[in-house]
Amino acid sequence: MLRLSLKNLFARKWRTAMTAIAVVFGIALVSGTYVLTDTTNGAFDDIFVRSNERIDVTVTRQEQVRQFDGSVPAFSESYLKRVRSVQGVEVAQGSVFATGSILNLENESTGAPFAPQFISSGLPSRLSSIEYVEGRKADRPGEAALDLEAAKRGGVEIGGRIRLIGSGPARLFEVVGLTQLGGASFGGTSIAQVTLSEAQSLTGREGRFDQISVGGDGTVSDEELRDRIAEVLPADLLVETGQENADRQASDIRDGLSFLTIALFAFAAISLLVGSFVIFNVFSITVAQRTREFGMLRTLGASRRQILATVLAEGVLIGLIASGLGLLVGIALAEGLSALLSVFGAELPSKSLVIAPRTIVASFIVGVGVTLVSSLIPAFRATRVPPIAALSENVLQTGRTRLWIRALVAIVLAVIGVALIASVLVDDIEGGAGAARIGGGAVALVVAISIFSPRLIQPMVRLIGIPVRAVGGLTGRLATENALRSPSRTAVTSAALMIGIALVAFVSIFASGLNSSVTDVIDQNLEGEIVLQGPGGFVPIPPEAVREAAKVDGVRAASGIRFAQIKVAGSGERQLSSVQPDTVDQVIQVDWAEGSPRALAELSGDKAVISQGLSSAERLAIGDDFRVLSPTGTRTKLEVIGIMASGNLDLLGDIVVAEPSMLENFGVAEDQFALARVDSGADVEEVKNRVADRLDRTNFPTVEVLNQEELKDRQKEQINALLALIYVLLALAVVVSLVGIVVTLILSIYERTRELGMVRAIGMSRRQVRRMVTYEAVITAVLGAIAGLILGILFAFLMGIPLEGEGFVLSYPIGTLALILVLSALAGVLAAVYPARKAAKLDVLEAISYE
Amino acid sequence: MEQDKQKGAPGGSIVTARGLERVYGEGEAAVRALDGVDVEFEKGRFTSIMGPSGSGKSTLMHILAGLDRPTAGTVEIDGVEITDLDDGELTELRRDKLGFVFQFFNLLPVLTAEENILLPLTIAKRAPDPEWVDTVVERVGLSDRRSHRPAELSGGQQQRVAVARALVTKPAVLFADEPTGNLDSKSSADVLELLRGAVDEFDQTVIMVTHEPDAAAHGDRLIALRDGRLVHDAPPVSADAVIELLKTLA
Repeated sequence: MLRLSLKNLFARKWRTAMTAIAVVFGIALVSGTYVLTDTTNGAFDDIFVRSNERIDVTVTRQEQVRQFDGSVPAFSESYLKRVRSVQGVEVAQGSVFATGSILNLENESTGAPFAPQFISSGLPSRLSSIEYVEGRKADRPGEAALDLEAAKRGGVEIGGRIRLIGSGPARLFEVVGLTQLGGASFGGTSIAQVTLSEAQSLTGREGRFDQISVGGDGTVSDEELRDRIAEVLPADLLVETGQENADRQASDIRDGLSFLTIALFAFAAISLLVGSFVIFNVFSITVAQRTREFGMLRTLGASRRQILATVLAEGVLIGLIASGLGLLVGIALAEGLSALLSVFGAELPSKSLVIAPRTIVASFIVGVGVTLVSSLIPAFRATRVPPIAALSENVLQTGRTRLWIRALVAIVLAVIGVALIASVLVDDIEGGAGAARIGGGAVALVVAISIFSPRLIQPMVRLIGIPVRAVGGLTGRLATENALRSPSRTAVTSAALMIGIALVAFVSIFASGLNSSVTDVIDQNLEGEIVLQGPGGFVPIPPEAVREAAKVDGVRAASGIRFAQIKVAGSGERQLSSVQPDTVDQVIQVDWAEGSPRALAELSGDKAVISQGLSSAERLAIGDDFRVLSPTGTRTKLEVIGIMASGNLDLLGDIVVAEPSMLENFGVAEDQFALARVDSGADVEEVKNRVADRLDRTNFPTVEVLNQEELKDRQKEQINALLALIYVLLALAVVVSLVGIVVTLILSIYERTRELGMVRAIGMSRRQVRRMVTYEAVITAVLGAIAGLILGILFAFLMGIPLEGEGFVLSYPIGTLALILVLSALAGVLAAVYPARKAAKLDVLEAISYE
Repeated sequence: MEQDKQKGAPGGSIVTARGLERVYGEGEAAVRALDGVDVEFEKGRFTSIMGPSGSGKSTLMHILAGLDRPTAGTVEIDGVEITDLDDGELTELRRDKLGFVFQFFNLLPVLTAEENILLPLTIAKRAPDPEWVDTVVERVGLSDRRSHRPAELSGGQQQRVAVARALVTKPAVLFADEPTGNLDSKSSADVLELLRGAVDEFDQTVIMVTHEPDAAAHGDRLIALRDGRLVHDAPPVSADAVIELLKTLA
C-alpha cells in the first residue's frame, strides 16, 4: 500500500509540490529561527569566553533590578586594594565599561544603527584578550583605541581623531590603535578604549569601576581564588570566575534575545496554521475526487485500515518532503533573516551557521506532525467510501459529519478559545505562558470559525457577488455560484487567508492606536515645545546639555527627566522617574486623581507621586509610606504626596521623585530626555535652532533637538519600522494562503472539466472562462479579507479595552484597511493566473469525450 | 422565423464536408478515424449518423461541429469555411450558429433550468427574444420547471432543457451526440420527438450521432460509417431495418 501512496504522489507531482509548499514556509521559519539563534548565541558565547580568556576572577556589582538598557551600577575603586591584597592574586585591575557615543570628526556615529557603543578602559596585557590589528594600546591622555569595524564604518584611521561622549560634553581623542577580538564581529557594537582615568571622567565614574579583573598567580584554582576574594568584599559585589562571568553574560544575552525567538516562532506557528488549512483542503478535495478509486480498492478487498493508511502515508510523505525542503530553505533564510533584522536595526553578530541536531529533528517533527494532523479527517472520510462507489456513474457524496456535531464542536472550540484569551487578560499572565494561551485561544477560535463558516458563507458570498456580477455579468454570476458550490471548501480556503489578514488588520489598528495615543500624550501632557533626547531616544543625555539649553535666549525653562527600573516591596518591578521640581510645571502637565495639582513641583527628599495603577494595586493613599529597592541595592522609604490619574500613557512611570533623590537613592545621573519651554511670544523654531547651535558649540553633538511635531514623527517612524518587520513576517502566512487558493481552484477546475468543456462547446470564449475563474478567486480572497478585517477589528477592539485606562486610544486606519481589501482582491487575481490559464487551455474535445 | 424559412429553401446544403480525413497518432500507431468522407447536409432535415464503435461517427460529428480539426479536407457551415478558423472564431461560430445536445453534463448545475436555456445568449451578451423563449420552453414542456436547478430535474427533463438551450439561438445546425444514451425509453421517446419537432415545426437542421436503431428511425436520413468511410446513405425505413443494417456493418 505504501507503493500506492508513493505512486499517487508521484503521479500528482504538481499537487504534491503545492501541498508541500503550504508547510515549507512555516518549517523554514522554525529551522531558520533555530539556526539564527544558535548561531547568534554561539557568537556571543565566543565573544564573552574569549574576552575572559585570561581573566581568572571578576568582580562586578550585584544586579538588584534589571535595567532596560542592561546597565549595572558601578562600585567604589577602593575595593581594588582589598582584592590585590588577597593571597594568590598576581594582578588585579579595575576597569570601566559604559555606554557612550563614538563619533568621527564629521559628528557621524561609527556604530551600526541601534547597536550600542561603549567607552572602556583597557586592561594590562596579562588580562586582556584584545588584539591590536594595527597600532598600540591607548596609554596616554587624549589617546584612544577603536575597534576595527567601527573605524571602518566611521572612516577613521590610525592618527585620525574621534569624539567620545559619555555623561558630559564630547572630547577629542587621537586614534592610536585598531582592535579586534579574535576576528569575531560584535554585531554592530563598537568599543573605544581610553586610559582608565579618562574613561572614569568621561562616563561620570570618578572613583568608581564597573569591573575588577583578576589574574591568579597559579597557586590556587580559580574557584578557590574567587572564594578568597569574596571573603574580603561586601555582599553587594558579585565575585565570579572568568568562566562563570562569561557564561552569565552569554545567558543574559540569550534571555534578552529570547523575545526574538518567541516572536519568530509565533510567526512560524501562524504560517503553519495557515498551511494546515491548505493541506486539509487539498486532502479533502482529493479524497472526494478519488471516491471511485477508493471504492474500487474496497471491492478488491482493501480494508478500511488500509485505505486510512494510504491516505495518511501520503500525508507523512508530503510532510517529509516539506520538512526537508523547509529545513534547507530555513538555513538559507537564517542569513536572510539576520539581514532582514539588521535592516530594522537589530544587528546580530555572525559566524558560520550553527545547525544543531535539534533543529533538524524539530523541523521534521513539526512538518510531519502538521501534515499528518491536517490529513487525519480527510483520511477518515476516505475510509467511509463504500465499495459500490466504484460502480456508480456519479461521484457519491461521502457521508458528511452531521450538522449538529459540527455546530457543537465549533461552539466548544469557540468557548475554549475565548476562555483562553480572556484568562490571559484577566489574570495578567506574562511571557511565554501568556503568549501560548493567546495563541492556543486564537487557534481554537479560528478553527471554530472555519467549521461554522460554511453556514455564514452563503450570504457573504452573495453580497460580494453583487459587484462581481455587476462587473462580470454571466461570468461573475457563474463565479459566485461556483464559489458557493462547496461552501466548506471555499470557507477553509478563505479562512486560511482570513488568519493572515486578521493579524495584519489587528497589528495595523494597534499601531495606529499607538501612534495616535503617543500624539495625544505629546499634545496634552507636554507643555515644553522643545524636546532634547539622545540618538534615537535610546541613549540618555548629559544633564549638562540640559543646563546649556536653559541658558539659551528665549528658553524660559529646561527640565530633565530620568528613569530607573526599581522594585516596590510586594509589587514587583516598576518604572520610577525623576523630575526637576523647580521647572517641571513649566514643561509637563499631568492629570491628577488625588492631591495638589502642584504635587510634582512640591517633590523633595523622600516624597513621591505615584500612578493610579500603583495606588490601587498597593492600596496606597496620600500620606502612606512604601518601600522600594533601588538598582544599587539600597532600600528607600517613600511617602505618597499625589496620585496621577491614569491616561498619561505612563509618561512618568509609576513613581515620580525629585531629581536629587534619584541621584542619591537610585544612582541615575543622566536624563532620558528633557523638555524646554520657550518664552511666551518667542518663535519656537528660532529658539529651537538657537538651542541646537548652542549644544553643538558646547560639544553635545549627539543631543537631538526636536519640536513636538518632529518628536511625533520620530515615534511614528519607530512604530512603523516595527510594523514593517511584522508585515514582512505575516506576508509568509498570506502567501501560503494564496497558494491555498491556487491549489483549490485548480482542483475545482479539474472537477469541472466536463462542464467547462460543455460551456466552451456552446460558445464561451477562453477569455470568458479565464474571467470566470479569476472572479471566483477574487470572491474567495475578498471573502477571506472581509472576514479577516472583521476579526482583526474585533480583536483590536477587545485588546484595547483593558488598555483604555492607560490612555491608549484605538484608532482605525480606514485607508490602510481599505488598502488591505483592495490588495486582497488583487492577490486573488494573481492567484487565479495559473488556474485560469489552465481552465482556458482546456481541450474542449477531450473535456466532453466520454471515457 | 420568416427569415429562416426563406433561407431554408428545401434542397439547400447547410453543411458540406469534402475529403475529410482524420489521423490520430503517427507512423505504425497511426489510426485513420476518417478516411475520405464527402457528405452534405440539407437544411431542415434530421440526419442520423450510425456506425459500430471506432467507425469514426463521433469524429465526424466533432469535425463538422468545429470541435476537432480534420487532417485533410474542408467543412463549410452556412457558407463559412470553418477549417481555417482560429479558436476564437470557432468559439463564436459555435456560439452563434450551432446548437449542442450531449449525452452527459449538458447543464451547469449552479444555474436554473431557464438560465441554462438562456446560457448561449448570455455568453454572447445578446438579449433573448421573450416570445421565442416562451415558445421553446413551452414546446419542451418545462413551463413549470423554469426556476428548478438541474439536480431537481429528472434525466429526461434535463435533456429537454438541453434541447431547449440548443434551440434558443435558432442555430443553423443542431448537433446531438447520443442524446438518448443515458435515458429510459419514455424519456428517450420524448427527446427524439422534440428533435423531430424542431425540424418539422421550427425548420431546424439536426445532425445526431446515435447507436440506437429506434433513435435513428426518427430521422429523415440515415448515414452509416465503417472504418472511417461512408458506407450507407438512405432514408431509414424502420428500426428493424436499421438493426439489419447494423448487423451487416459489424
